[in-house]
Amino acid sequence: MKLREYEAKKVLKDAGIPVPAGFLIRAADELAPHLDALGDAIVVKAQVDVGGRGKAGGILMADRTTAVATARDLFSREIKGFPVKEVLAEQRLDIRKEYYLSITVDRSAKQPLILFSDAGGVEIETTAQENPGAIRRVRALPLLRDLPPFMLRELAGKAPKEVMPVINKLYRVFADRDALLAEINPLVVTPQGVFAADAKIIVDDNALARQGIAVNRDLSEREREAEKHGFSYVELGGTIGVIGNGAGLTMSTLDLIEYYGGKAANFLDVGGGAESERVKNAVRLVASVPSVNVIVVNLLGGITKCDEVAKGIIAAGISQKVIVRLAGTNEAEGRRLLSENGYEMLDTMDLVVKKAVEVAA
Amino acid sequence: MIYGDQKTGILVQGATGKQGEFHIGLMNEYARKVGGRGVVAGVTPGKGGQQVHGVTVYNTVKEAMHEHDIGAAVIFVPAGAAADAIMEEADAGIGTIVCITEHIPVHDTMKAIAYARIHGASVIGPNCPGLLSPGEVKMGIMPAQLYSRGSVGVISRSGTLTYEVVDELTRAGIGQSTVVGIGGDPVIGQTFVDVLARFEEDPQTKAVVLIGEVGGNLEEEGANATDLPIVAYIAGKSAPPDKRMGHAGAIVEGGEGDARSKIARLQKNGVPVASRVSEIPAMVKELFCGC
Repeated sequence: MKLREYEAKKVLKDAGIPVPAGFLIRAADELAPHLDALGDAIVVKAQVDVGGRGKAGGILMADRTTAVATARDLFSREIKGFPVKEVLAEQRLDIRKEYYLSITVDRSAKQPLILFSDAGGVEIETTAQENPGAIRRVRALPLLRDLPPFMLRELAGKAPKEVMPVINKLYRVFADRDALLAEINPLVVTPQGVFAADAKIIVDDNALARQGIAVNRDLSEREREAEKHGFSYVELGGTIGVIGNGAGLTMSTLDLIEYYGGKAANFLDVGGGAESERVKNAVRLVASVPSVNVIVVNLLGGITKCDEVAKGIIAAGISQKVIVRLAGTNEAEGRRLLSENGYEMLDTMDLVVKKAVEVAA
Repeated sequence: MIYGDQKTGILVQGATGKQGEFHIGLMNEYARKVGGRGVVAGVTPGKGGQQVHGVTVYNTVKEAMHEHDIGAAVIFVPAGAAADAIMEEADAGIGTIVCITEHIPVHDTMKAIAYARIHGASVIGPNCPGLLSPGEVKMGIMPAQLYSRGSVGVISRSGTLTYEVVDELTRAGIGQSTVVGIGGDPVIGQTFVDVLARFEEDPQTKAVVLIGEVGGNLEEEGANATDLPIVAYIAGKSAPPDKRMGHAGAIVEGGEGDARSKIARLQKNGVPVASRVSEIPAMVKELFCGC
């Protein structure tokens, strides 16, 4: 889950990384008491869960006299369709130089990857294309609590030596906060020292509980409902509902829908051991999406009991057509139950998907 | 076969849990069928002395190692205890560690894999179905009835999709040497590169089916590093960006790891890529006859 900027900055501040003076406000009038602490040059930033908010008008410059009015203006806006409910008001820094610093998980090396670049304030992907020599990369043994000084020297290069403790502190944040990404862009040099002018932290969804995060904001309401049942669920916007067991099999069912010219409405992975109650909940959840007019159920596995799955489909009792492919134990019984209740069961993935695409059209 | 054979004694960590108990039964049923040793010991802290399907449970891996000749371990413990289990096994000297457990935080996985590497152990998974060498050994949860012995290796990030592919291969008369589910997490121990290197050393394996999915670029990395003939399949062509597609590792992020660019890179390196699972057997047959 992605933290909002003010949350990420709080994490950095708690870890001893300097951040600009700033206050979170939920209405423009809340800003007035903080003006003294913010000084003359102020920036107000919409705290919305979308990228590219700067270009979309979500970051506005102000001074002491205009700050409240500017904040009011920002609260009245929608940024890429999201209403502005929270605004971070910050002191504007006297920036002399900008750097880029991030830590991610290197899948290939199976280690944290630390990137430092002299081209701050720019997307790292852009730097990688236009000036790849400006990015320094270091991989660290995840068993180490701190980065060895030689790595910090290698990363910092000719940057002021004050950035080195910041790099190590961010490395600790990355580990302690179960981050998949910890990024400071830009990391700025001012006459008052170095500051994290912007911050982005993505927390591992598998570690939310131990990080004390109760609700995954990145999920839609229906996705959260699915999570409660232990399903993986993604909305895709088409007309064909998809239920499978296992992420790979469910994904390849979606791909097959595209191959045959259809459009999937969603992706639901019921996971292992699909008992009738789970299957019933899955079918009802998928059927509750208004755009769904047909549902493909594609379940395979040695330990999945086909009669249980059939009972779940029948118990769901939904109005849309359900087309089923089942392979596993008690296959004959599952087939009998389904056909007695008027459901169609076909033998292969290709056949069910082709049929569903026809029905959807 | 790679990673183990009939003679490999297996330890199951989390032996007294529902999953552990169920799969000890199935693994040993398979071992009896092929004349292998199968699961020889279980471990659950605090449950030492119990029996599961006739297998003795120990409190620690070291105790079990003291009593039995053990070459591999399979882990069924909950996510919060899995990294510890990997490290305990590596520390005790087990060379092949299969971690079935899902939902382990990535930082725990990175530490456990780094620790295992120091001890010279290979970790398969986490979040994987394990591996099966038909006629030799089953370590994990794969449904053995779908498999047949032969000369095609299979490497996959998925579980059920692997079974689907194996089923198609078997029906087409194409047997498998070893089928390895490497796991659906962003950080896994053995990647395509590592398993392909094992297949290169394995005289039984003549060709490989590589089943990948969106996220990362380990499929391309693997295909580039081997001379074995490969047929690939990539799941997730219709996956939208920044959405996790069921597997923690199946995500297109920062414009990277999408199926189309993966497929293009594989094809550029001469690897044929199936657009549907059902096309795989015919493409494998083509590799062999060279037509």
